Amino acid sequence: MKSSFRQPSILPGFGLTLGFSTFFLCAIVLIPLAALVMKTATMGWQEFVKVLLDPRALASYRLSFGASMLAATLNSVFGFVIAWTLVRYEFPGRKFIDALIDMPFALPTAVSGIALTAVFAENGPIGQYLAPLGIKVAYTWIGIVVALTLIGLPFVVRSIQPALQEVQRDLEDAAETLGAGRFYIFRRIILPTVMPALLTGFTLAFARGVGEYGSVIFIAGNLPMKTEITPLLIVIQLEQFEYAKAAALGFVMLVMSFVMLMSINLLQAWGRRRIVAASR
Amino acid sequence: MSITLDQVTKRYQGSPVVNDVSLDVAEGEFFVLLGPSGSGKSTLLRAIAGLTGVDHGRITLHGHDVTHVSARQRGVGLVFQNYALFKHMTVGDNIEFALRVRRTKAADRRARRKELLRLVALEGMDDRLPTQLSGGQQQRVAVARALAHKPQVLLLDEPFGALDAKIREELRRTIRQVQRELNITTVLVTHDQEEAFAMADRIGVMNLGRLLEAGRPAELYATPATRFVATFLGAANLLLARQTAQGIRFGATPVNVRAVEKFDGAREHEVVAVLRPEEVELAPTRDNLRTNYIAHGAVEELVFTGAMERMRVRLNNGAAGAQIATASEAASGTALLEVTRTQHEQRGFPVTLGQSVAIGVRRIHVLPTPLSSYTSCGSDASAAEQLAQHAFLSELASRMKTRIATRVEPALATMTSDIATTPISGVAVVGASANAAAQIRWLLRNGAGEVLVLPADSTPPQRVLIHWADDESRRPTLAVAASLLRHVPAEAVYIGIMPEGVSDMQRPAGVRTLLDARSEAQAVHGLEMRTELRFGVAADELRRQLQDASDQMLILGVSSLDQLSGDFSSLLVPPPGCSLMVVYRPTDTPAGELRTAP
Repeated sequence: MKSSFRQPSILPGFGLTLGFSTFFLCAIVLIPLAALVMKTATMGWQEFVKVLLDPRALASYRLSFGASMLAATLNSVFGFVIAWTLVRYEFPGRKFIDALIDMPFALPTAVSGIALTAVFAENGPIGQYLAPLGIKVAYTWIGIVVALTLIGLPFVVRSIQPALQEVQRDLEDAAETLGAGRFYIFRRIILPTVMPALLTGFTLAFARGVGEYGSVIFIAGNLPMKTEITPLLIVIQLEQFEYAKAAALGFVMLVMSFVMLMSINLLQAWGRRRIVAASR
Repeated sequence: MSITLDQVTKRYQGSPVVNDVSLDVAEGEFFVLLGPSGSGKSTLLRAIAGLTGVDHGRITLHGHDVTHVSARQRGVGLVFQNYALFKHMTVGDNIEFALRVRRTKAADRRARRKELLRLVALEGMDDRLPTQLSGGQQQRVAVARALAHKPQVLLLDEPFGALDAKIREELRRTIRQVQRELNITTVLVTHDQEEAFAMADRIGVMNLGRLLEAGRPAELYATPATRFVATFLGAANLLLARQTAQGIRFGATPVNVRAVEKFDGAREHEVVAVLRPEEVELAPTRDNLRTNYIAHGAVEELVFTGAMERMRVRLNNGAAGAQIATASEAASGTALLEVTRTQHEQRGFPVTLGQSVAIGVRRIHVLPTPLSSYTSCGSDASAAEQLAQHAFLSELASRMKTRIATRVEPALATMTSDIATTPISGVAVVGASANAAAQIRWLLRNGAGEVLVLPADSTPPQRVLIHWADDESRRPTLAVAASLLRHVPAEAVYIGIMPEGVSDMQRPAGVRTLLDARSEAQAVHGLEMRTELRFGVAADELRRQLQDASDQMLILGVSSLDQLSGDFSSLLVPPPGCSLMVVYRPTDTPAGELRTAP
């Protein structure tokens, strides 16, 4: 009875490893999060709601989650194209481009933020051509989306790449001999096969975007109500020693992120179940 | 004709993977393309399906030229080794895929799906996912899916490769049944000769990108034309024999095996004989044999396999040394003979390991190939040995599963008119020295029918040029070229040469000669070749052609030695920098010039 959870394994020490996992997660994840909740609890309900529904806070939620969503969507499209190019074609410099994809992982985010700002500022190498068209990137919400796209790209590409490698050429050949055109093959064969990986990549890029701070503060301009993201708002509260308010905002982000990630996961599971259900 | 391939060639990075393949598959025929991996059979199948473009040639399906029609429009059904089912779709959706693409009405789709599932014996499996089926069932679904749009031809690419033996047997039967019921023209690609025998109406054997032979299974097994087909379809002992007007002789022992094939050509020569293991008879003594005796031997290996008994018998006289073995095996000096015997034969004469037996043959088949073995000739032992190690020669011999003998002839250096003690058998090989021209003539005068001149640094050719001096030498030259090109992955080009300044009236005649040569090569020798017409002096034109690219080879046919010292002397002195094969078949032999074997 006691050992009903235990699966036979070639590696001994189930008790030890589970104990370690629990301890590790507690120390690193659960206890800090609990502290966050505790800190939030020090303020009354009324004050909590006031902080939460402050117009400045509401605007920042919209910006943070909206921009992250948009960036993750953009990444899903262009990340797919990049992954496709890297998996399907053999060309000089392929290895180099492949390595380049990981750069946003390694670069300090502040550096990429500063670099983007320099490039997209009105007098920057790209910004100067966009300005006459009336498109301002730096210090607007567009800049935030650009920064989050840069940060999220490797998550999408690296998620899709192995899945695309799995799509056998034979599948496409088979579909072609059965009379399917290229677009049909893409829509009915390739996309469904890659979809789970694409959703995972989207989720990761989105989650990363919500939490991103370093690169955004440089390019955003940080105008209250306009280009102020929630993480920045938290930092501002901290600087004013309003720890409880900061914690409350953090708590809100935590809950919202959790709900969104959870729903994407559920969506994925539902998609899988639908395929299995069709087989009954 | 359902499928017609006309000189289909597909190159990959310059070298042909499918080399000049021409083939007709009849309506409702089950055709099996058989060959080892890398023989180009799968590429050819993909070319028929339209998934691979061709560099040269035409593909016709039911009379429509589809060479440049995409796979989408071609209307073929293709089945892959790894099933290639759409895993996110149910069995039903997989089968209906082609119909959905064509926007067929739902009711018609359902009816067709039902019919196909019945055909492959998977009724009621509509809603399963491919991953919930066994391998054999998945391949059945793949077959049903490939048939949904009523394709003109069904193509199967090693469809049983991933299945275990029992399922394989069952699926074979199903596919054959479906094929008969629909009477659909089918091409199956496999490397398994047993599978080919079990399924085929006709088999086409491919090697090195060429379609070597095509025919009914029994025909191909009994009378193969090439050594590759002889050894790839079932087991075969390849023996070197001498063909005489009286019959076939092995080694020094005159053995009168009634030759099935007629003896053509005036003089006796070395041939390659195919002896199937089941055509060997064993008896305690020579007198007990009911068939032609060839040699004595000792049983060296004995394996009981149920219905048959398999053994290897080491020949200890007579035909010993006659069996063609690869260079390394030939060193042992004696030869091993593969023998299989039925239960009935075993009861008649039980044998044990090490027992001495008399060997007889029931039936023997002589390959029509003119290239039997190689004899590396040098004026001293080291030169002959060194030439025998030549990379291209070793490759040729191992591919032809034949031996390279060495022979020391001091006369090659001194160029005295000495006569060789025994006639040279097989293809004589010499290095490309300054007096190669004289050496060639000497070797041809002493019994060699072909001389191969190899420069030390020559590599396997990409292009083989063919030319003959006169009409008499056309047939033997084509036979040699066909035999050689079966073992070399190169393109064959016949160079026809007309004198400079011929009148316009004569030009059509030149073109006709080219076309005749091409159709004779194809019809008689199974050789697909390109043709080119040039104008000028033959020797100069050939030399110019050979200098165009480094990786070429020339096969030159002559009917008299005067042609070599006359017309072609400028081609041979100095010898060209590439490999050269001279084919010599005298029309009428002046007395004293040609020695026949004793």
